[in-house]
Amino acid sequence: MSGLKREGDPVHRLEALRGTTPQQPHDARAIAALAANPGCTRRALMDGAGIDKDAAARHLGFPAPFGQSPFAITRGNMFEALVKADGCAELLRMLRELLDLPVAEVAYHDVENVGAHLRHAHTRSLIDRAAAEGHDAGTLYDHPLLSLEIAGHTAYLEPDVVAFQLGGRFHIVEIKSFAVIDGQADPAAVAAAARQAAVYVLALRTLLEELGHDPLKVSHDVVLVCPENFANRPAATLVDVRKQLAVLRRQLTRMTTLDRLLEALPDGLNFDLLPGEDGRPTRPVAELADALRRTTARYAPDCLSACDLCFFCRDEARQEGASDLLGRQVRDELGGVASVAEALGLADGTRDPAEGQEEIARLLRNAERLRRECLT
Amino acid sequence: MSLLTSLARLRALDEGIAQPVATVRHCHLSERPMVFIPLKLSGEAAAPLAAMLGTDRDAPRLLVVTQPRNRDLRFAWAAELAGVLLPYVESFLNDTETVERRNADPYERALDAPQLIVPNLAGVAFTRLLGRSTRFRRPDGPYPVPDVVPLLGRWLTYFGERAAYPGSSLMTAATEELGRHWASGQSGLEDANLAALTAWITTGPSDEAEDPLVWPPAGPATDPGFDAEVLAPAIESEKPERITEALRTQLEPTWRLMWQAIDLLAALPEGPSVAQRWEHDRGSFSAMAVHIAEGAPPQPRRDGAITAAAKLARMERAQAAYDVQRAYDDPLVMAEYRLTGEAFAGEVAETVPDNTEGEGRSRKLRPLVVIKTDDPVRLPPGASLGTPQRRGQGAELVDAGQGLVTIKITKGMGRGKTPAPGAVPEVGERVCYTSLTDDFQGSPALPDAEATPWTHGGPPQEYVPDDEDAQEEWS
Amino acid sequence: MSDRLDDLERRIDELRAAVRTAMRARDGGGARALRAELRSAERAWDALVTGEPPKTKERPPGLVTVREQVHQGLRLLGASAQPRLVVAVSEAFFGGTIRSGQLTSLRRDEERSFRSSPFGRPYYLCAALTDRLSPARGLLALSAWPLERRVVGPLSPRVDFLTAAIAVAGQSMEPPADGERAERLLARMARNIPGAGESVLGPPDPVRVIEAARAELRVHADRDTRDRAELAERAAAQLDDVTRLFGAATLSTIKKEKAK
Repeated sequence: MSGLKREGDPVHRLEALRGTTPQQPHDARAIAALAANPGCTRRALMDGAGIDKDAAARHLGFPAPFGQSPFAITRGNMFEALVKADGCAELLRMLRELLDLPVAEVAYHDVENVGAHLRHAHTRSLIDRAAAEGHDAGTLYDHPLLSLEIAGHTAYLEPDVVAFQLGGRFHIVEIKSFAVIDGQADPAAVAAAARQAAVYVLALRTLLEELGHDPLKVSHDVVLVCPENFANRPAATLVDVRKQLAVLRRQLTRMTTLDRLLEALPDGLNFDLLPGEDGRPTRPVAELADALRRTTARYAPDCLSACDLCFFCRDEARQEGASDLLGRQVRDELGGVASVAEALGLADGTRDPAEGQEEIARLLRNAERLRRECLT
Repeated sequence: MSLLTSLARLRALDEGIAQPVATVRHCHLSERPMVFIPLKLSGEAAAPLAAMLGTDRDAPRLLVVTQPRNRDLRFAWAAELAGVLLPYVESFLNDTETVERRNADPYERALDAPQLIVPNLAGVAFTRLLGRSTRFRRPDGPYPVPDVVPLLGRWLTYFGERAAYPGSSLMTAATEELGRHWASGQSGLEDANLAALTAWITTGPSDEAEDPLVWPPAGPATDPGFDAEVLAPAIESEKPERITEALRTQLEPTWRLMWQAIDLLAALPEGPSVAQRWEHDRGSFSAMAVHIAEGAPPQPRRDGAITAAAKLARMERAQAAYDVQRAYDDPLVMAEYRLTGEAFAGEVAETVPDNTEGEGRSRKLRPLVVIKTDDPVRLPPGASLGTPQRRGQGAELVDAGQGLVTIKITKGMGRGKTPAPGAVPEVGERVCYTSLTDDFQGSPALPDAEATPWTHGGPPQEYVPDDEDAQEEWS
Repeated sequence: MSDRLDDLERRIDELRAAVRTAMRARDGGGARALRAELRSAERAWDALVTGEPPKTKERPPGLVTVREQVHQGLRLLGASAQPRLVVAVSEAFFGGTIRSGQLTSLRRDEERSFRSSPFGRPYYLCAALTDRLSPARGLLALSAWPLERRVVGPLSPRVDFLTAAIAVAGQSMEPPADGERAERLLARMARNIPGAGESVLGPPDPVRVIEAARAELRVHADRDTRDRAELAERAAAQLDDVTRLFGAATLSTIKKEKAK
């Protein structure tokens, strides 16, 4: 991941893309979201350059449809405080039950005690000591601060807790306030938590590697802590994030090879929002929209829950009449017919199938005949 | 989704209005449906915030938890909900018919049954959670609740489970039923927005449908902006009227949409098999009522291995039956099978009504029919066939090719030497035959629950809700 | 606001002295009047510190102040604790009425008071000290405790939790307590101690909780005592009166360490 720095040039290009806009730091959620739509060039470039996509979307008149309820935020904070209360008493119980943590292993380090500016260095030294000294090291590291290079920039990451001394391996502990009811939780929420935890696993492994330790001392099993049933009582489960790690690695590798994407860009193209004194974008909307349209997006309805730019890209897909609008299933069914007009033309017989489209054209014509027959 | 539906979506997108994917209505619609729109507190698993409900579109009931973090108020809300839902449910228990059964005692089946309609699948899931969080409570002991609350919990659990049962109409989600009958020009994901889907069907797509200020979400999740700007200050003010009015603004638009959705569905003619499935629903509903009346314990937290396997098998059979029945009821659904070659339709070109096979005593009447079709037939000779035009009839494919299919009728043409009148289609008649049939293999041979193999956890303990269930924290 | 606080603190000090004088002079009536005035000044100080308008109607005279409630709670627990636990103990055993928002600036206000008139009060609500001798985040302690009890080694959060559990279990056997709240608090603590009765329904048995907590304490005690003694020694050597109670700023501690 440090390849970019050496090459220098792509970093420079990315900075040029960003222009005067301050860089948006990546958090774990943002990094995890990178893996959601790896084929999207627009997103890869904007994230690579560190452009605040939310601000861009707002400025373009397509604010993202997300937002978190204050109730959900409060609840999340309260639950985390509960899990960590009294020297992580609840967490220790769960680790003892789940992973047979020995009773003697209770040493607790609050990394944040050193003050914000030293947290990262302190995390490094604590983890280094733990990895080197093994059994005499601490057990729980609260508020650690890890880092990960994203396209030449350092992103700082704050996992909830890092646990050590579970069979001599580090485990990422992820505290989430969605409920597990009778052993079942919302699969989408679990998947999102796993993606986020994978970012921490990768960051911690990278740290160990830098310190000269075996990166595999970080377990790919993360400890997911959620409230159980309808009470606030926390319960822990192990979640294997190997798959999420693989996807994430692949995406980060792609981001370090942004140079190919950058080379294809027209000269002088940039995504600068031209923030004014109050930080608000001042760049003419049409100009920014035009700049964005000169990069290729891969819109899919899934973007609606993952990417700040989704409404902008959906609007673009509508104007282009792209069949992507209707979802992956429809797109797969149409097997390579990308535009609505083309598909309907094939169905109506007003358009001749291109090479390789004969089969889908025959199916569409048949489908059209059947619909007409049944509806008249 | 089939290519036929995909094509309908493309057409909808092109024309700016949803396209039909059904010619008849495939769900039962009650004359007195209970529209139920629950809202929950963000960030909590099953903390109710409010519900708008009722059977009269001009008189919705609004139930509000005026201090959502207060556990006692939540249960008081559940009791209020019970005060509306239970009388509705119980009102169907009085009028029954006696059903005779082979090898079993006759039983009483309700002549009509309740129908709960929620906006979307998330509403179904929340109803199930509400059921789960209330059915184990007790009116006595620590943390007592009003005695109607656990009973409500059992009914909500029941409705939630029935909603997952293919073809059942006891509890349905408006977006699901609309989506079964119309294809919009947006993705399935976006169809989960009731306002957006209704707009596609009635007036065409509208950006307003996604604006929470114009169309608040149909629940159970509320709009985060509403939470921050309206609800939180209202809760802070501790004024129940203010909270109630705030929530009313979030529910009323959806209330109107729900009745619009019902009207849209009601305008479609009912499919012939709907009554049969509703009869199953009525039977299931009556059985549940007997179960409760006999003092059986609430539904367990989890099913045992045998119960779960049996339930799964029943659901699979119900799904298969539902698919076949819809195809038989609706040429537009059958068209999907014609597209894949599992069905074909066309005009009768030739018949040999008195064709026979075999000699002497084993000589059988096997009328032959030749059908001219444009459909791509992908059925092998010998495939057994059924037909929507003559539901009792069975046939077998003899030969297919060059737009002509020859079949022989094997069942349902009478026992005489010549076919019963009308049993063999006339030349020129339009007919459809398909390999889809409604006679399925019987239930899989599952052991009794007492004989559950140790690999599947051994015989389950008889479920008795214990104190832990009743005292489960509910914070 | 701090000006008014300073004024009030001066007034409180004067009143205390006046009460003592009146007592010595056996002026019972005067002392009573002065005490009433002293209490109202203390209430005003509390109100100002916690940012709450004084609600005289809701707080009948003589009600224990937030500061005193925290003191009571900590004294019972006998170990550094997070505000949340202090509040729970106060509610369960002392009819406490603290809202957690009232505790956010408590430590800072105590420090201000100490700086303006050192040792002017019988006790201060102060900080627990980390291994860098800085104030530990989110922990409250009492100035009356020996340094060894107020410093936090790696095992101390657990040891303090177990100590607190033993105290809570012991207190829950004594009336009067808010039975339900006390039971719930004890149950919550007990389920996180192996062998304290986590699988048993109903209220946990305090005797069992005490035994289980003691058993786990024995595992950690030696190392924790050693760690704490070493920290306490360092604190005694390096810190002045103020920082000994309220902790050293992190950066300076580090500079000192580097200078060595």
